Amino acid sequence: MLSLMAGGAACACCGLVHAKKLAYDLTVREIASGTWLVEGRSEYFSLENGGNIVNIAFIEVPDGVVVIDSGPSRRYGEALQALIESTVPGKPVLRVYNTHHHPDHFLGNQVFDPGVIAAPQQVIDNIIAEGDAFADNMYRLLGDWMRGTAVMAPAVAIDTDFEDVGGRRFSLYHLSGHTSADLVIRDDETGVVFTGDLAFLHRAPTTPHADITTWQESLGSIASIDRDLLVPGHGALDSSGESIEQTRDYIHWLEASLTDATSLGLTMNEAMVLPIPKRFASMSVVETEYQRSVVHLYLQLEDSVMPLIELK
Amino acid sequence: MRKFWLLPIKLSMLLVLTTATGNAAALPEDPLNSVMWENMAQRFFPGEVVIDQRVVVLSPHEAEDQMQVPVTVDATQLENVVEIVALADLNPIPHILTVKPLQAQAFVGFRVKLEQSTPIRVGVLTSDGVWHVNGVIVNAAGGGCSAPASAHGTSNWYKTLGQARGLARRDGTDAARLSLRMRHPMDTGLAPGIPVFYMNKLLVKSADGVDLADVELFEPISENPTLTLKPLVSNEAEDLLVYARDTEGNEFEFALEVPAMADN
Repeated sequence: MLSLMAGGAACACCGLVHAKKLAYDLTVREIASGTWLVEGRSEYFSLENGGNIVNIAFIEVPDGVVVIDSGPSRRYGEALQALIESTVPGKPVLRVYNTHHHPDHFLGNQVFDPGVIAAPQQVIDNIIAEGDAFADNMYRLLGDWMRGTAVMAPAVAIDTDFEDVGGRRFSLYHLSGHTSADLVIRDDETGVVFTGDLAFLHRAPTTPHADITTWQESLGSIASIDRDLLVPGHGALDSSGESIEQTRDYIHWLEASLTDATSLGLTMNEAMVLPIPKRFASMSVVETEYQRSVVHLYLQLEDSVMPLIELK
Repeated sequence: MRKFWLLPIKLSMLLVLTTATGNAAALPEDPLNSVMWENMAQRFFPGEVVIDQRVVVLSPHEAEDQMQVPVTVDATQLENVVEIVALADLNPIPHILTVKPLQAQAFVGFRVKLEQSTPIRVGVLTSDGVWHVNGVIVNAAGGGCSAPASAHGTSNWYKTLGQARGLARRDGTDAARLSLRMRHPMDTGLAPGIPVFYMNKLLVKSADGVDLADVELFEPISENPTLTLKPLVSNEAEDLLVYARDTEGNEFEFALEVPAMADN
């Protein structure tokens, strides 16, 4: 999609293979009036993409700018900040929402004023509990892209159903299922709904903290929100509700298929090579995410599927 | 001048070759290119060693959770298997487990804690004294062996010590597929302030007391050890007995029924 490698290829001819400058070549697209999407690649974290796999958005409101999630690294946060400044010059960032505690959604927080970063208390607690371990793993996966990145939890805990920011009203839905706390945000002016990672489109959903039953309920809640456009946390924009249906279908299949595998006594490794239905072939990285999901879901499923045995 | 320079090198190479052939047989090159290969082979695979693709080792290239890395070993293409030894070369404690499939298929599934990226290496000893070795490299985040078990996050973990879950399925006409999970912290002794404490023995026996599979477990086995084994059974319904013991001498015993061929 985006060609981050162009700079590297140019250097290869003069032999400076190590001299590639790491830069997120972020671009914006106006998806609704005064609403810009910074679309991530439909990939898994890699040294090539620097973790630019997540959909980030910002919205011009009368008195400033509202940002939805902050990206995977400090470097990404800096690029995002520059992009906001050049797209909406001179307007201050009044609010940064963190939809949930996964690292690609909050590790760009550092570049923003701590006092404007907000999330539900449970998201903040999750960031404090697991943020450092996430950051460690991101350094391992992304190397120098992560330079200077440190965990910064949101300073503002939100528990209301709406918020007025700079003259614009946003509805806030406190849901869960992808993690133990997932914030969904609706811009009440444009009807654009930012689903966080409760919805994916043409990119396989991820499950490291998933509770499938709750997730399904949350997708039901999102389906009932009056809206003009859905912005999934990863993958393509959605004007028809397809991301809700596809995510529902996939996580339903995932749970059913792994429940069967567990009840047959298959090992995780055997479950990892089970066939994935053709209807999910359009999702990028589905094989990788499926294998990860086996590890995430198997332990819970064993608890419910394998009977307890009385000790002698 | 150049020849003089080369001479000592040639001599030393000869010396190396002589020493190598002085052992039973030269060690084959390690397909996983591990710095620990010679050491692992000396410690765990005494005798003739061959690299053998018939030892199938399944494990993901990327460990999603370094505390629970799944490994499945299938050596059923080999005849007369005496012992299966699984190692993680670069773990502080490399020995994961040893399985003697006395009357069982040469198959085992388990989960392991990894301290860092490492080869997962499996040696299968056949009755002719040859070690058939194969393995895979698993990339992992650090710290799997030196982090406390999650059990220590609760104050009463010992109340459920040994609690067992299990399934006995039929795997064809003459074998069962036995999946077991038992509650145990499997403390390596490497987490600060937590002494070593792990389940170190598990035996699967037939209803009349014949040993079918003998498993020795070591510190790297994941918390709440989960094992998949394929003991040989008749085509009638029959009970399998499981006996387990930990390093503090706690003993756990339970039975599982394998369904008859007709009812499976």
